[in-house]
Amino acid sequence: MFTLKVAFRNISRQKKRSFLLAGAIAFGMLVITIINALTGGLVENIRENFAHALGGHVFITGREFNERGQQITKIRPDERLDQLLTEHAHRIQAFTKRSQALPSLIFGSKQTMHLVYGVDFQEEDKLLKSLVVTEGSLEKALSVENAVILPLPAAERLGVEVGETILIRLETLTGQHNVGELLVVAFVEDQEQFGLSAAYVSRAYLNSLLGLEPDEYQMLNLFLTDLAFVEGFTRAFREGLASPGEEPEEEEPQVTVSVGGMPLDPAATRQRLAPWEGTRYRVLNINQIMEPVELAVGVLNRVGLVIFLILLLVTMVGITNTFRMILIERTKEIGTMRAFGMHRRQVQSIFLWEAVLLGLVGCAAGLALAGLIILAVGSWPLKADPSLQFFLNQGRITFRLSGESVVLNMVLVVLTSLIAAYWPARAAAKLSPMKALSSNF
Amino acid sequence: MRRICLLLAAAVLLVVAAAPVQADHLEQIRAILEKVDAQSRFSGTDFSAVLTLIVEDPEAGIEKLVVRQFRRDDGERYLLLIQEPVTQRGQGYLLEGDNLWFYDPSSRQFAHTSLKEAFQDSDVRNADFGSSSYASSYEVEGYFEGTLGSFPVYIIDLKAVDDTVPFPYARIWVTKDTNLVLKAEEYSLTRRLMRSALFPKYAKVGEAVIPVQMIFIDELVEGKKTQVSLGEISTAKIPDHVFTKAYIERVNR
Repeated sequence: MFTLKVAFRNISRQKKRSFLLAGAIAFGMLVITIINALTGGLVENIRENFAHALGGHVFITGREFNERGQQITKIRPDERLDQLLTEHAHRIQAFTKRSQALPSLIFGSKQTMHLVYGVDFQEEDKLLKSLVVTEGSLEKALSVENAVILPLPAAERLGVEVGETILIRLETLTGQHNVGELLVVAFVEDQEQFGLSAAYVSRAYLNSLLGLEPDEYQMLNLFLTDLAFVEGFTRAFREGLASPGEEPEEEEPQVTVSVGGMPLDPAATRQRLAPWEGTRYRVLNINQIMEPVELAVGVLNRVGLVIFLILLLVTMVGITNTFRMILIERTKEIGTMRAFGMHRRQVQSIFLWEAVLLGLVGCAAGLALAGLIILAVGSWPLKADPSLQFFLNQGRITFRLSGESVVLNMVLVVLTSLIAAYWPARAAAKLSPMKALSSNF
Repeated sequence: MRRICLLLAAAVLLVVAAAPVQADHLEQIRAILEKVDAQSRFSGTDFSAVLTLIVEDPEAGIEKLVVRQFRRDDGERYLLLIQEPVTQRGQGYLLEGDNLWFYDPSSRQFAHTSLKEAFQDSDVRNADFGSSSYASSYEVEGYFEGTLGSFPVYIIDLKAVDDTVPFPYARIWVTKDTNLVLKAEEYSLTRRLMRSALFPKYAKVGEAVIPVQMIFIDELVEGKKTQVSLGEISTAKIPDHVFTKAYIERVNR
C-alpha cells in the first residue's frame, strides 16, 4: 500500500509528463474501442437488415420426392412443424413464407441470372421498410400481380427503366421451361459483395411459374425475439424435424449465391440421394449466411488490433524511455529511500505501480473519450449514400461494444505498460544506496 | 321444334362420325412422329462428325466453337470434345444413358450437368446432340397442312406427355413425303415461344437421315442465335473406350 501511495505521489508530481504518457495510452485505447464498437454495431445492423431482406433469422426448407422420383423443394402442412412452432411460439416474433428461383431476367438483347424471392408483400411489411428505394415506388408491388422490385445492379445490367416489362425465364419444380413477364416497379440498393442480391416478386405469381399452388411455399423464415436464441433454436428444429433414419448432412451447404437454404449454384456437382418418403427439412440460420460479412468485419477488427498494437509499441518505447529518465532523475531519492531501509522489491514496485496507474488512467480517459465520440456520432443521422443504409440502423451509425473486449484491451494496455516499465524498475531496484547517494544526478 | 331436333340430331351424328376420322388422322400423325424419331437414330452403327457452331450473342459478340462428336445411340451415349476456341480446348461432355458429365481440363474434374442445359452458352441444348424423341415425349394436340418454302408439310402441335419433358409445348413442320423436320418451335408452360430451330439441310448417313445444318434462334433474347454445321461425318465403328471418362482424361494429357 505504501508503494502504491508513493507511486501515486510520483505521478502527481510530474503532471505534464504523466499527462502526455497517459494521453498516448488513451489514444490507443480510443482507437481500438471505436473500431471494436463500430464493427460490432455494423455486424448487428447488417444482420438485422439481412434478416429483413431474407425474411427471417432461421430458414426452413423442405425437400421431397414426387411420384417420378424428382426431388422438389416444397413445404406441405406438417404436424411436426406445427408442433415445433407451437412449442417455440414464445421465441418467434414473426414468420414469412417464401418461394425462390434463380431465373434469367431478360430485357431486349440483355439477360442476367438473378435470385428472385416470391414474397407476400401484404404480410412482409418489414421487408418493404428495410428496402432502400433508389427509383420507383414499392406501393405498386402491393397491387400489381406481376410486379418486380429489382436490385439496382441487375437493373443496370439489363438497361431497364421503372415501368418497363422484363421477361423471366426459369424452370418449374419438375424441370419444365417457363417464361413470365414482370413489370418493374422499383429499383433498390443491394449488397452483392456480401452474397445478398435478390429481386422480389409476388409469391403467387412466382408460384404460378414454378408450378406451385398460390398458397404453397418453399421456405419458412422465422424472426426470433432475440438473436441470442438463434443457434439453440436452429438445433431444436433440426432435431425436431429430422425424419427417422435421416442421417445428418456431412457438411453444411456452402453459401455462395444461395441465401436462405437452397443450393443455387448451377455448377454444383449432383448429389446422389436415395428417394425418401415424406418431407425432409433443412434448417439454416442467419449466422451461417452472415459468415462472409463477419469475415470482412473480422479483417477490419484485425486491422484495428494491428494499429492498436503499433500504438502500444510506440507508447511502450515512450514509457521505457520516460522511466529511464525518471530513474536518472530519482537516483539520489532512491539512494535515500534505500538508506532508510526500503527493500529492492519495494523500489521496483513503486516503478511498476506508476506504470499500472498510468495505464489505468490512460484506459479510463480513452474509454471516456470514445464514449463521447460514440454518443456524438451515433446521434447524427446520415443521409449521404443510399448504399450505406444497409450498414445503418434507421439512418444512424450504431456502436456495440462487448465487456470482454474492453477488459481484454485494458489488460493488454496495463500489461504492456508493466513490461515497458519492468527494465527501468529492475535497474532502479539494483541501484546500490552508496553509489546512488554519491551520484551527481 | 321438329327442325331444331333434326338439326341437333344431325350435329350429334356429325360429331360421332368425325371422331374416328380425327382419331385416324392423329394416329397417322403419331406414326409420322415415330418415323421422324426412327430416321434420326443410328441403330447398329456409330456416328462421328465435326460440328462447327457459330454463336451470335448481342452482348458477347460472335464466337466460333469446333466440337468433335462421337455418338452411339444404342445405349444413348455420346462424347463431345471441344477443339476450338483454344481456351476451351479439351473440355468434354460424356453422356451415358441418363447421366451427362462435363469435364474441365483446368480443374481435371467431372461435374454432373443436364441434357436440358445450354451447350457452352449457345442456343443448342445438350439434348440436341442425340436423336429426337418426339413420339415418346409428346402427344399430338392437333395438326394442319401447309407449306414451308416450297415444301408441303404437316404442321403438328405437340403437348408433352408429362411434366418431365423440358418444353411443355412444341410445334414442328414435317415434310409430307420424307418425314423430315424442317422447323421446330418450342414453347414454355405459359405457351410463350422460347426457341425456334430451322433445319435447312439434311444428309443420309447410313440408315439415318440427319440435319447437317441447323439454326437455333433464342426467341426471348433479341439477336441471339446459333448456327451449327456438320462436317467429316463418319459411321465407322468407334472403340468402346471412347465413351469413357478415362478417354477424356487421356486426350487431355
